[in-house]
Amino acid sequence: MRKYNVDVVYGIYDDEEKLLHAVRQAKSKHLEIFDVYSPFPVHGMDNALGLSESRLHIAGFVYGAIGTLVAFLGMTWIFTRDWPIIFGGKPYWAVPSFIPITFELTVLFSAWGMTLTFYTICGLWPGVENPQLDLRTTDDKFCLAFNTKDVSISDANSFFSESGAEEVNTKSI
Amino acid sequence: MNSEHIQLPNKDKIILSILGIIGLISLLYIGANDDLGHTRLWTNLLHNSVYFTLVALMAIFFLCVNVTAYAGWDVVFRRVWGSMSYFLIVGLLLMGIIALGVYFGWHNLYHWADQHTAETDTIIKGKSGFLNKNFYTIGGLGFIVLWFFFAKKMRDYTIAEDDHGDGRWAHYKSMKFYAALFLPIAGFTSAAAVWLWIMSVDPHWYSTMFAWYATASCFVSMIALTILILIYLKSRGYYHGVTSEHFHDLGKYMFAFTIFWTYLWFDQYMLIWYGNIGEETIYFQTRIQEYPILFYGNLVINFVLPFLILMRNDTKRKYGTLIIVGILVFVGHWIDLFQMIKPGTLHTAMELGDHASAAATHGHEAGTHGAHGHEFKMGFTIPGIPEIGLMLGFVALFVATTLHFLSKASLTPKQDPFLQESLHHHV
Repeated sequence: MRKYNVDVVYGIYDDEEKLLHAVRQAKSKHLEIFDVYSPFPVHGMDNALGLSESRLHIAGFVYGAIGTLVAFLGMTWIFTRDWPIIFGGKPYWAVPSFIPITFELTVLFSAWGMTLTFYTICGLWPGVENPQLDLRTTDDKFCLAFNTKDVSISDANSFFSESGAEEVNTKSI
Repeated sequence: MNSEHIQLPNKDKIILSILGIIGLISLLYIGANDDLGHTRLWTNLLHNSVYFTLVALMAIFFLCVNVTAYAGWDVVFRRVWGSMSYFLIVGLLLMGIIALGVYFGWHNLYHWADQHTAETDTIIKGKSGFLNKNFYTIGGLGFIVLWFFFAKKMRDYTIAEDDHGDGRWAHYKSMKFYAALFLPIAGFTSAAAVWLWIMSVDPHWYSTMFAWYATASCFVSMIALTILILIYLKSRGYYHGVTSEHFHDLGKYMFAFTIFWTYLWFDQYMLIWYGNIGEETIYFQTRIQEYPILFYGNLVINFVLPFLILMRNDTKRKYGTLIIVGILVFVGHWIDLFQMIKPGTLHTAMELGDHASAAATHGHEAGTHGAHGHEFKMGFTIPGIPEIGLMLGFVALFVATTLHFLSKASLTPKQDPFLQESLHHHV
């Protein structure tokens, strides 16, 4: 996770329904949300935040297609050109026997490709520093944060007291 | 909203009746233009009866799977499956006709049903403990009665729950008991039924994958038909509680079991081919040489197209793509069953047929001699127009039966413990 270099003002909630409600309220008041933090995925949060659909699956399809081609063409080259061997009296180019391996490599390529792409996008590599807004969001609290440049602290304060936040804090991350 | 009873517009009833009449005309047409043994008529009757009966079985099977698995998402439209399973009554009648035919020798669908063959043919003689007239009639029809018993139990309890349900969930607990009991029963009897009804048209041939392969086929069709019926009912203003979230899950099932079917389709071939089981290659030999369009088209319609179309997230949520894939897959698996049944029955008709027609004989000879192996004969090596008409008739019969039983009770279980979960279902 990168360093943001922003000052945020954030409210702590004790229930995910309150958080979801607050997010919807903020959206309807056109307050730009910096981020939300939760110990677990909250159902409907993607929609409420208006996040666009992930494009990871397109990458997954491309990796899978590459895997299919690598496996099929690779085996074709090996068993017909490079080192032809007769297995079980079958022809050199024994397509049905290639199918299971082609399937496996498709799955392997798309799974590894998507995992590595996901890590790269999120910057999740060994030694990464992970700034936590509030450690309690890894346990039982939920948090909604505004960038102080987008939303003034007084606006944020009135919003948080209205939407039932337990406490309001500021922090530089 | 939950207590709605459906009342179909008359226009739709007329359309269903017209489809039914098309089916009837097709049946008469096939019967009138047939050989003396009525091979084409009986094979089409067997094909459609088995297909739609197994679709009804898969409906009650999947309902019981969901009840046993504490699944809540489907509760809002669960009664559609309950009503689909009531086609088993019609299925009992249709399979009863075919069983009577086996008993009294009205047709030559099954080689093993011939007295002379059963005594002289070593392989068929070895299987005669299972493949005999008595077991076909009592066993086959007994299975349908058994399935219907559970379908009736599930329906009775869910309807009783509407009026008498309370916080003790007595009806729900009984449903769980019967659903769990049904799963192993359905597992074994469906396999035996597929052996009896479909695999035994090739009595010399044997495949361990076949029962799974055929039931997976019918499972995908059942999901496709559920989607189509639900979209139809929604277009008529019912089932407001069924949202794109439910369709998304149904779409996932269609996608997943399409791949499952392909796995079985391929593995059946692969095990025989790679295991060097030469005597079992006859099944594929016949189909690849005499039915190439169906054999390869089968894979395109039932795997390649649904796989590519349903892969994306949004195609499982939109009516347009769901309708296209639903129809494609439903017809595709009907064709799949066509090519499971047709070659074996035509072969049997030719072997036994002192009265086999030139048409039936021709189809067989074309393959054996290979010289003119690519001549297709409507209704024999590819489904002809009357076959499609007959399918439409059966679809109308199936849908009419489903809607009839659906209209007898509230569309949504009112007191099901998972009802709220289902109404707020979110993928």
